[in-house]
Amino acid sequence: MCSAQPSRTNPLNNSAADIDTGRATFRIYCAPCHGIGAAGGSGPDLTLGVYEVGDSDEDLFEVIQDGVNGTEMSGFGERMNDNTIWRILAYVRSVARRDAPVLTGDVTRGESIYQEKGGCAGCHRIAGTGGRLGPNLSRIGRTLSFARLQEALVEPSKNIAKGFDTITVVERDGEAVRGRQMSIDNFSVQLMDSREEIHSYLRDEVRSVEQEPKSLMPSYEGMLSGSEIDDVLAYLVSLRGDQ
Amino acid sequence: MRGGVIVLLGLLSAATAFAGDVTNQMLLDAQGDAESWLTYGRNYSGWRYSELDEINTRTVKRLAPSWVFQTGVSGRLQTTPLVSDGVMYVTGHNNHAWALDLLTGRELWHYSKKPVKEAQGCCARPNRGFAILGDTLYKVNFGATLVALDAKTGDVLWEKVVADYKEGYSATAAPLIVKNMVLVGIAGAEFGTRDFLDAYDAKTGDRVWRFWTVPGPGEPGHETWGGDSWKRGGGSTWITGTYDPELNLIYWGTGNPGPDMNGDVRPGDNLYTCSVVALDADTGTLKWHFQFTPHDVHDWDAVADPVLVDLDVEGEKRKALIQANRNGHFYVLDRTTGEFLLARAYTEVTWADGIDAKGRPILIPGKDPTEEGNVACPGLGGGHNWHPTAYSPQTGLYYFDSVDGCHIYYRTTQGYIKGQWYQASTVGGVPDEPATGSIVALDPATGETKWRYEMVSSPSSGLLATAGGLVFGGDPQGYVTAFDAQTGKVLWKFQSGGSVAAAPITYRFRGKQYVTVAAGEAIMTFALMD
Repeated sequence: MCSAQPSRTNPLNNSAADIDTGRATFRIYCAPCHGIGAAGGSGPDLTLGVYEVGDSDEDLFEVIQDGVNGTEMSGFGERMNDNTIWRILAYVRSVARRDAPVLTGDVTRGESIYQEKGGCAGCHRIAGTGGRLGPNLSRIGRTLSFARLQEALVEPSKNIAKGFDTITVVERDGEAVRGRQMSIDNFSVQLMDSREEIHSYLRDEVRSVEQEPKSLMPSYEGMLSGSEIDDVLAYLVSLRGDQ
Repeated sequence: MRGGVIVLLGLLSAATAFAGDVTNQMLLDAQGDAESWLTYGRNYSGWRYSELDEINTRTVKRLAPSWVFQTGVSGRLQTTPLVSDGVMYVTGHNNHAWALDLLTGRELWHYSKKPVKEAQGCCARPNRGFAILGDTLYKVNFGATLVALDAKTGDVLWEKVVADYKEGYSATAAPLIVKNMVLVGIAGAEFGTRDFLDAYDAKTGDRVWRFWTVPGPGEPGHETWGGDSWKRGGGSTWITGTYDPELNLIYWGTGNPGPDMNGDVRPGDNLYTCSVVALDADTGTLKWHFQFTPHDVHDWDAVADPVLVDLDVEGEKRKALIQANRNGHFYVLDRTTGEFLLARAYTEVTWADGIDAKGRPILIPGKDPTEEGNVACPGLGGGHNWHPTAYSPQTGLYYFDSVDGCHIYYRTTQGYIKGQWYQASTVGGVPDEPATGSIVALDPATGETKWRYEMVSSPSSGLLATAGGLVFGGDPQGYVTAFDAQTGKVLWKFQSGGSVAAAPITYRFRGKQYVTVAAGEAIMTFALMD
């Protein structure tokens, strides 16, 4: 006699105390990526009530426990006992709105704007094609919330993806090299310039090093119309990689 | 002949002390023992200073790796290695520990115990080192136990429960040996525990005394806790303290009150959290206390090394205790009486407009955490957090690292559930203002900063000062660095490939000076190239 193992459900009764404790833990571990109210940040919006990794309690438990390969979501199983994870889940369930934003843009038009008018492919790569100065967008629809994608198009400097800060090094002869900061420490700087060339400098061998809290990406507000931005957003949301 | 060997072994094991055994007197005299590093802070005063000067401002450029031991255990090591009788003893994350041959770095033995999954802590499962007495090593395991190991083999002699991990207790600090007792601190204030400092008999592991850092009903200080909030009051003791044998006093820093960021549920000053306590070494009785941050709501633990130095403060000789506190101020206290002598900010401070004549902060209103988030400086980790500090009697300067930045502090209302996070919210970074850091050298008699080495990010490592006119440290990006102790100029650096989260040590072995530091998951030892 064999039967399929039923999917595990949250064994806690999701009491107010469970939710409160889950919320408190969420704020410590999860809010840095998912936002203080779970509405998304560099990680997905969790208030949508639907999740890329699956919607069952067990799916979500396993994601918190083990992380998601290929994303910045690491596993917390080493640091949390089962009940701590279940309480986080109780909180996440409690904030689900189930009113996902309706995408009004057109994916095909968005792709063409991305490639042509927007010139996005000059700096971003999708499925092996495009530039490397900006983040790879092959799975961006899976890893960034809709709100954060929208923000990235109009206010790209507000939240800069990890590893994509801007830095300028002025060499001894006065030549300034500006690009994406790949690494920095107290003694050296490594950057990628706009031609995707990688430079390495010892700090005591250059005239100055200036880190800018600013993205190399321009704002598309004004460069694209509102409906064009919607189209690009629809295209970006559709980018979910191979899975 | 075989029988003869057995008899000889029998005689040896019956002896009470072997050559190489560490005695209480050796711990008292540790500062003068150039061949060893016998206790967490090198001496009981917590100086982390060595008289060795073969590696000095002139020769340090010839410093190069001598050997590297890869632990193979994940987690940035925070251990202060001990060195005794030609062997190095180090501890790692998740209840691992090793004895290493001092000549080659080869492993002599490896101890490990699988951590209980249910045991939780705020910040991974690190361990900061061993204590040693006789031929026995003492360390805490993460699930709040104290274990005694045979220094020759790593065999477990006994393991005692310090506290119940199911209540949220954990243990990470290096124990301190005082008068045949093993002093053990505890962690758990983010989980609503009521914390303490324990003393155990070094032979039997039986508990000799316990000092509760949050006083119970009827005890002085209990009135500083509203309602029954003392039961979840925190006050962890997660960094090793110091000891003055003449005064027979133990000094230990205490952590934040619980819950961290919502003080409404615990009205009052919340003694003895965010304090240093001076305890009678024999009984654990409180002699005096000084609270740096009354009714803390920013998680500013006062666990940083309470360093003991004799200073001339405003023309008067003082037996002083100094601390670079996480709340952004450097303090000098009289260690005989606890009298406040001076305080001075060493980084940006926005929550207080100085410290008054009694040592109490002059609060600036509106700096507490809120539901929506409220910016205050320094950030949650300070200022100076826990990383070991160094005092050099040669330069008369005190060296420590500082996070220079702010946080957005959030609070929430949260019910208590046994064994679960009880922080009542969190912090976030201030947009476009990433924290940086520095290594600070200041005159402890005045609090005046003499030099400051600025870093690109928050610092991470402890420090070591030597009579070679050097201060050794490291950084999160992997550099091990030697500074000129007088000026802060970088005289030597080495990219170790591992983020440095521990403090360097130094010792002489076969006539040569070595520097050892844990970097990433490895133990690295340096010496001058011939």
